[in-house]
Amino acid sequence: MKIAITVWGNRISPVFDAASTLFVAHIENRMIIKKSYISFNPTLPFDLIKLLKKMQVSVLICGAISTKPADLIVENDIKLISFVTGNALRLLNNFARKQTIEKTFMMPGCSKQYCWRYKSKKLPIPDSF
Amino acid sequence: MINFRYHYGVKKIKYKKILSPLTEDTTKIILESISDGVFTIDHNWEITSFNRAAEEITGISRKDAIGRHCWEVFRSNMCEQDCALKRTMEEGRPFINSSGYIINREKKKIPITASTSLLIDKNADVIGGIETFRDHSLVEQLRKELSTKFKVEDIISNSDAMKNIFNILPQVSDSDSSVLLEGDTGTGKELFARAIHNMSHRKDKPFIAINCGALPDTLLESELFGYKKGAFTNAMKDKPGQFALADGGTIFLDEIGDTSPAFQVSLLRVLQEHEFTPLGALAQEKTNIRIIAATNKRLSDLVSQNRFRQDLYYRINVIRLSLPPLRHRMEDIPLLVERFIQKLNLRQEKFIQGIDKKVLQAFMSHEFPGNIRELENIIEHAFVLCSEGYIKLNHLPEFLSLPSSINGKKDSDPVKSAQIKLIIDALARNNYNRSAAAKDLGIHKSTLFRRIKKLGMAL
Repeated sequence: MKIAITVWGNRISPVFDAASTLFVAHIENRMIIKKSYISFNPTLPFDLIKLLKKMQVSVLICGAISTKPADLIVENDIKLISFVTGNALRLLNNFARKQTIEKTFMMPGCSKQYCWRYKSKKLPIPDSF
Repeated sequence: MINFRYHYGVKKIKYKKILSPLTEDTTKIILESISDGVFTIDHNWEITSFNRAAEEITGISRKDAIGRHCWEVFRSNMCEQDCALKRTMEEGRPFINSSGYIINREKKKIPITASTSLLIDKNADVIGGIETFRDHSLVEQLRKELSTKFKVEDIISNSDAMKNIFNILPQVSDSDSSVLLEGDTGTGKELFARAIHNMSHRKDKPFIAINCGALPDTLLESELFGYKKGAFTNAMKDKPGQFALADGGTIFLDEIGDTSPAFQVSLLRVLQEHEFTPLGALAQEKTNIRIIAATNKRLSDLVSQNRFRQDLYYRINVIRLSLPPLRHRMEDIPLLVERFIQKLNLRQEKFIQGIDKKVLQAFMSHEFPGNIRELENIIEHAFVLCSEGYIKLNHLPEFLSLPSSINGKKDSDPVKSAQIKLIIDALARNNYNRSAAAKDLGIHKSTLFRRIKKLGMAL
């Protein structure tokens, strides 16, 4: 399974719409087996979607995001987990281990009911994850 | 945790001691009363105070905000690349009115301006930073409303040329008089006809648009008046015409100038008697319709050439609205472009954000003989080639040739350039027929040839 996170240094980028770097991690058996960094332009979400599809990324984790790109990403069958904050690697390890995103990684004022966005209600995580 | 001083190399600077006459309580009251959002941070970039307005603008409670990193709460486009607070901390000076936006928890972009300065304690030590920010949503909304001076139904304009039409449109709609809309092709005559209908008491009844120029005479008559069974071969049953179907509503007759004299007689009877006879019928039928006619020709000229009935002209020409061509309302181009992009983004599920500055320049120097329809088609063409971001010159159709100013070259002789442009435009308007172009320019053909040679134009 491949997950992409918009990052700013070692943190999750606070605003997707102004982010410029993607951290892509390939996870198997609850371990990060490969990681890479890619530059992208958030004002061209279709390009990003094409890139994510090409890399077979199925989940995008980011900070605050505005409606337009959020809708486009979700409509293109990429699971979007937004309004997430904190250290990107720690989040990824935590996510792999516990198969969920803990409340400590949510931006203030956000909850699973508010801000977060999935394609489906439950984010399915495969066994190999 | 990132140590602020370590991370940005800010030295602990002693500032001149400022004696404040305000007590701490008074300061708190002031901070809570103002409409600007205010928050302060410590050296770890953690929020230490967050006023009421900041809660309102961000949608985050003080309880949730305090102790969190400022970028997690403020969520501005400036945080990552161009943080005003960071610059203040590095340079030790305030920054006023940096513009940007924040994203609230409803995923809405809120336009803001932010000002930052150092936070200095009683001992003149820098203890962090302070950021004040102002919600500009209302200002943006007002700015948008102001930029659209006039809006009626689906018609928008910024132009004074349209102002008079917009002003009288409600009265025109209220009356039941016939309306004649004159204007070049693509100026929005049908849009105006629909607007008049939608604003009238007939709005709940049908609006039927007929292009008179597109139908042969006999077909037009049977279409409008209907026919009875056996009126002609293949008339197997009665068919009501548009005049019957539109009863109580409005009929829009486009290209009325292209109708035959015979049809004009029939139409005149409808306007005079409010009656019509379906083909093959013996009795007349009553109708209650309003007629809005449109033409891209000057009907008065057609009357003087005996190509249009004078009595019908006076019947139709009760209220006449002349729609200006787009080249006379160029200030509307940005507004219209924005409208078409919004419409096409929705229809095609795209994410085009606007047009490049050079594209706007190209539009502004184009004549738009096809008017608003041409502009819409150009944008639609660009949508095919541009998937997202901004429409650029290479997304435009080839015929939008670029004048020198668009390519960034300054004209050495503006008078010469203007003369060249005038001639090129006149030639384009007249299918590059030099005699017609000369006539259009009001000069003799040989004068035009001389001028072309003198200007060194290669045609």
